[in-house]
Amino acid sequence: MTDARRLDLLDPADVARLGGIEIVAPGVVEGFLAGLHRSPFRGFSVEFTEHRAYQPGDELRYLDWKILARTDRPFVKQFEEETNLRAMLLVDTSRSMAWRGAPARLTKRAYADRLAAALALLLLRQRDATGLVTFDAEVRAVVPPRVRAGQWARLVAALLNTPDGGGTAAEAALARLTALLVRRGLVVLLSDLLFDRALALTALRYLRHRGHQVIVLHLMDPAEATLAGPAEVRFRDPESPASVVVRPRELARAYAATVRAEVAAWRTACRRHGIAYHHVPTDLPFGLALRLLA
Amino acid sequence: MIFLHPLALAGLAAAAIPALLHLLGRRAPPELVFPPLRYLAAAERHSARRLKLRHLLLLVLRTAVIVLIVLAAARPLVPAGARAAGSHAPTALAVILDNSPSAAAVVDGRAMLERLRTAARGSLAAAGPDDRLWLVLADGVARAGTRAALLGAVDSATAAARRLDVTAAVREAVRLVAAEPLAAREVHVVSDLQRSALGPGRVEVPRGVRVLALAPPERVPANRGIGAVRVAGRAVVVPVVGTPGAPPATVTVRAAGRELGRGLAAPGSAVAVPLPPLAPGWWTGEATLDPDELRADDRRVFAWRVPPPVGVTAAPDAGPFVTAALAVLGEAKRVRPGTDVTVGTGAAAAASIVLPPADPAELGRVNRALAARGVGWRFAGPGTPGPIASALLPEAAGLAVTRRQRLELAPGAADSAAVLATVNGEPWLVRDAGVVLVGSRLDTAWTALPRAAAFVPFVDALLARVARGVAPVADAEGAPRVEFRVRGADTVGATVYGLDPAESDLTPAPRDLVREVLGAEVLDDRAFAAARFAGPGRRDLSGPLLVLALLVAVAELGVAGVSR
Repeated sequence: MTDARRLDLLDPADVARLGGIEIVAPGVVEGFLAGLHRSPFRGFSVEFTEHRAYQPGDELRYLDWKILARTDRPFVKQFEEETNLRAMLLVDTSRSMAWRGAPARLTKRAYADRLAAALALLLLRQRDATGLVTFDAEVRAVVPPRVRAGQWARLVAALLNTPDGGGTAAEAALARLTALLVRRGLVVLLSDLLFDRALALTALRYLRHRGHQVIVLHLMDPAEATLAGPAEVRFRDPESPASVVVRPRELARAYAATVRAEVAAWRTACRRHGIAYHHVPTDLPFGLALRLLA
Repeated sequence: MIFLHPLALAGLAAAAIPALLHLLGRRAPPELVFPPLRYLAAAERHSARRLKLRHLLLLVLRTAVIVLIVLAAARPLVPAGARAAGSHAPTALAVILDNSPSAAAVVDGRAMLERLRTAARGSLAAAGPDDRLWLVLADGVARAGTRAALLGAVDSATAAARRLDVTAAVREAVRLVAAEPLAAREVHVVSDLQRSALGPGRVEVPRGVRVLALAPPERVPANRGIGAVRVAGRAVVVPVVGTPGAPPATVTVRAAGRELGRGLAAPGSAVAVPLPPLAPGWWTGEATLDPDELRADDRRVFAWRVPPPVGVTAAPDAGPFVTAALAVLGEAKRVRPGTDVTVGTGAAAAASIVLPPADPAELGRVNRALAARGVGWRFAGPGTPGPIASALLPEAAGLAVTRRQRLELAPGAADSAAVLATVNGEPWLVRDAGVVLVGSRLDTAWTALPRAAAFVPFVDALLARVARGVAPVADAEGAPRVEFRVRGADTVGATVYGLDPAESDLTPAPRDLVREVLGAEVLDDRAFAAARFAGPGRRDLSGPLLVLALLVAVAELGVAGVSR
């Protein structure tokens, strides 16, 4: 099956219909790897690969002093990852994630679970210690990063066993994570980012300050990017009693602009703090989502 | 700016419809879960001012559409600037100037006729040399003529004595102008538009003909007038007509060179003044009212004839009560011995009063004599007892009849008789071919009449009015006067001229009724002046307003769809 069809490039909902996470995630990874020649993840190892611009939080010992002297611009060396990378996947399981704009699509949570499973499998195959934190208003499950056999199954079980939660408070989960991650590593946050941006960024900046590489995957259902519905409708927040009555046709343009501005604000803020940010619509094939991380 | 249909402005109340729909149409919207509510709230915050402005703009535009349509329906007219009066398309114009007697009424200190003449003058003065003109006055005659000639006729028009049937006049005027091959056709109705001036039926106004009617005055004068005066028996009955609800006024009756009496009456009631004994012959008199807003109907003349004593012969079978009554009337010089009228069971004289025979066996003989005389009626079998009912002989009304012979029409006879009184709905007193048939003998065994005080007046009326007949006095419409008809050296009748009593009721016709009956646009003075010749000198803004309403509606659609 996986040989004949590149699951990583299929529609996520179609992929999900082929089976559970345990079945489709390996297929996605196989397909993804078939399209790559080397591991996409770079760390601080001995094999030099390329230079990149210095970002606040980078260790000064990897600064290329010769280039700095020649060009007066700070660059750091990047090396091919060979040894264990400690990666922690943070999956938002709040109630807002259990939403989809159309029955034919995956919920954001289902998409995040499958993407996290595929990503974990990819990392584990590279012998990278991979862990998992699921959270909503509180931290719901923690699987410490390990590279031993059966780790992926534990991660998948943790994902499957975490029910849809309540409200979201990412800063609490991120603060808890800093205590768990003693060694520097990679932190991947999969969330719809429907929480306070300033507070979340504070936590992410702290991780960055501790030397972690931070990747934010902003999951968004395509129906959240545009506003549609009846002539007049009361929209209700799934995580709070808040609601608002609007006429979608009147507000559609302003809403689309607001979403674009929000995405742009996250992107800008993350870039400012050396955090990789990717906007991931839930109809994006998993392979393309993984490629964003390459 | 003036409006041709100011009542249409009441439709401006409809301008509140968009706001009311907005307020009344609010209902609970459907509810949906939507996680990115914070984005939505932010978008709404940022757009609140714009949306509020947009909603306000939509409300204003929708209200403006309604206001513009209502204004257009009211036909606003504005001065057309340099356009000169008379510069209209050639028009066939008929002006109906209702100078009927009611036009002489004074309303708000001004003679109604003055107002009507001004309006009629305005219509004719605005006519051009290419127009075809007619003027219709209260006589109903359509006079064709030049502008100058018809203006002269208008200026010399005074309140006529004849009533104008406005409906018939408009119908004729519409027929005249519709037949003219000119670009425009108009009928101008300049009338006080009394309710009574609208005749039967309605006018069918063909396409291309405009009928403009000057609106009647808002205030109705409380007018009273003298109706048709009647001399009945020995009294003069003066009915008072006029505007319903008008207060009573004093009626004064004069005759034979002196005042006969006074009475107080309101419209709808009458005054009865007794006549003194007068010598036989023709007499005239007049009834007058206290002056009010319409003087023309405050005086009316009347005429009547006091007949000479009737020559009567009572047959032996007439009975003792008839003989006694004739003796009383003879003393009063109301009757004399003679052969003018016979009373009995026979019908020999020119005028006879025939009573049923006391012996039923004689009925056949009497009926044969009646048939030989050419009378179509005959005595039949006995009838049921009952009270007498008669409008013509009020003296006998209500008195009991205990025995009677039914009166019936002979087979094949023409029903030319006048039934003068009935008992139980069956004829009791009829007149045919100069013969008066009474169903009962004038005897206490047959009827209570001889015992009643009304018996002698009843016999007097029977002889003087019923059997011999009264001298004809006809009524005619015209200036108040009396004209006598003569044959040889004898005066055989009289015609009393007076105003149509309907003229005294100045109640104007409702505008809706005028519109329905005459097919006319009912306009007040300014609007009437503006609407002549499709409004020469003024421009109708209804067209531009409708175009503007359309543009505003398009703008509303644009604004409504701008964020869809």
